Amino acid sequence: MTFFSDTRYLFVRSIRKLVRTPILLFFSLLQPIIFLLLFTQLFARFTAAPGLFPAGITYLSYATPGILLQNAFSSALQSGTSIVDDLNSGFLQKMLVTPVNRSAILLGRLTSDAFRVTAQSLIILVLAYGLGFSVDTGLPGILAMLGIIAFFGLAWSGISLAIGLRTKSAETVFGIGGFLTFPLLFMSTSLVPTDAMPEWIKAVSSVNPISFAVNAVRDLSLPNYFSAGSILTAVGVIGLIAIVTLGATLYLFRKVVS
Amino acid sequence: MTDMISVEDLVLVYGDGTRAVDGISFKVEENGFFGFLGPNGAGKSTTIKVLTTLLRKTSGRVHLAGLDVEKDAAGIRKLIGVQSQETVVDHDLTGRENLMLQGHLQQMGGTELKQRVEELVKLVDLTDAADKRALNYSGGMKKRLDLASALVHRPRVLFLDEPTTGLDPQSRSAVWKYLDQLNKEGITIFLTTQYMEEADKLCSDLSIIDHGKIVAGGTPTELKGQVGTDTITLSLEGSEQGDGGSARAKELLTKVRGVSEVLDSDGGLTVYAKNAGFIVADIVRSFDENAIKMKSISMSSPSLDDVFLHHTGHRIRPEEASPRQTMRRMGFAARRPARQ
Repeated sequence: MTFFSDTRYLFVRSIRKLVRTPILLFFSLLQPIIFLLLFTQLFARFTAAPGLFPAGITYLSYATPGILLQNAFSSALQSGTSIVDDLNSGFLQKMLVTPVNRSAILLGRLTSDAFRVTAQSLIILVLAYGLGFSVDTGLPGILAMLGIIAFFGLAWSGISLAIGLRTKSAETVFGIGGFLTFPLLFMSTSLVPTDAMPEWIKAVSSVNPISFAVNAVRDLSLPNYFSAGSILTAVGVIGLIAIVTLGATLYLFRKVVS
Repeated sequence: MTDMISVEDLVLVYGDGTRAVDGISFKVEENGFFGFLGPNGAGKSTTIKVLTTLLRKTSGRVHLAGLDVEKDAAGIRKLIGVQSQETVVDHDLTGRENLMLQGHLQQMGGTELKQRVEELVKLVDLTDAADKRALNYSGGMKKRLDLASALVHRPRVLFLDEPTTGLDPQSRSAVWKYLDQLNKEGITIFLTTQYMEEADKLCSDLSIIDHGKIVAGGTPTELKGQVGTDTITLSLEGSEQGDGGSARAKELLTKVRGVSEVLDSDGGLTVYAKNAGFIVADIVRSFDENAIKMKSISMSSPSLDDVFLHHTGHRIRPEEASPRQTMRRMGFAARRPARQ
């Protein structure tokens, strides 16, 4: 089976490229880290307001799950730009004249994306722990969190890959991606609970996929919040998005390679 | 079967209606060195993309080593090495890593691959730079690395799309040296170029392509022969000129087979003939038998440029690709072939 070995070689290639361009890593981590350091200080006293936040928790423990997902968002966006690079530099064609397994090209990309989101999430988690964050469900909970975050990252990689394959323009990927990020992030339960939102944002937030993912991650980290139901719902919602976005990616990729 | 590449009535129409390749046929024999000579936009790159399984043809038959280009695409990909027009290396990887990756994708591995990579690094003179990132390579080094990566799996056919466009003369002659060596080792080479000199120097067989059609084909010598006349210029020793030697020489020259015209020119004679290379020997022999002393003899043959002019009515003007043209060429998926 060349599928697995080809995927592995292309995974290694992506990871090598990533660690050798630390500037990209730096910038995609910068924003979540600024959020982590700044927002958790700025909004620290908001959780004292009665009836808005779950009782007895710090803003840090409330917002860290949201910041983890924001990080998944911003690193997923770079996935699309890397396939645009391969398309425009001719590297994709160079691969396509070899017997390389076609699906492995896409899977090597996606596995390295998932690896990257997981690694970046770990960095943010370590920082958050330093500030006083903790995960109530322990190591299994952390693993489940990372799993949900990586899965979420893959679903969004699908969007940026699809945009990249369709437009062949890194600027468009960044433009559309950047345009989507903040409205989706702020109109979700990432940073503020629904009770604190105006009605119309509440309505958006209740169907916003980020809310589902962030609620699941939060239910794993906050004390006495664990609920298998919210985790399964999140996996289901992300799964649906992934089917659509990765399906579109696969369709556009087939058109390019056929 | 000695044909490594066989193309019959190949047509490729892009989605926007452009007939990039318009019914071409040619054959390349095993271990041949075949050249596709033509200006920008003549259909050279498109033909290579069809032959290397990147584009699906609109119609026609294309076989490589007896394999059908569409039915046996997977088999063909193991046999071919391709260097595209734009140099493609992964800038974030070292030279060695680029070659290893290419080998892995060609299903090689272990010590066999490591040895092969070492061999190639030496072949293209990148030993000192092999562990540096390709980002730091000069244009010529990148081109050589790209060429080496097309060779990792010991392909039987090598496709080169304008391998020396944009190179300085020194790098160009280095690439020519490798290609000549590879061909001598038994690799069949298919090359496109817009440089007359390159086609003339390297190729054993040529097709001239313009506007998607092949307008002429043959060995460089045959092609130049078709244009007709070479020029032979000769001058006689001073002692011969006075006592009718010149007239006698003229008489002898008109009797030599293949000579079409003899004219007096300053201090000598100008002879128009086909295939001057063969005729010079006859002239020398004839003069020798008749004791006419020659001071000098030289010939000049028509260039491939004349050949191109003869068949198309215009000259090739090689141009370095502008960034915009490069972008356009790279967007291979932007123009999709129409299916029938």
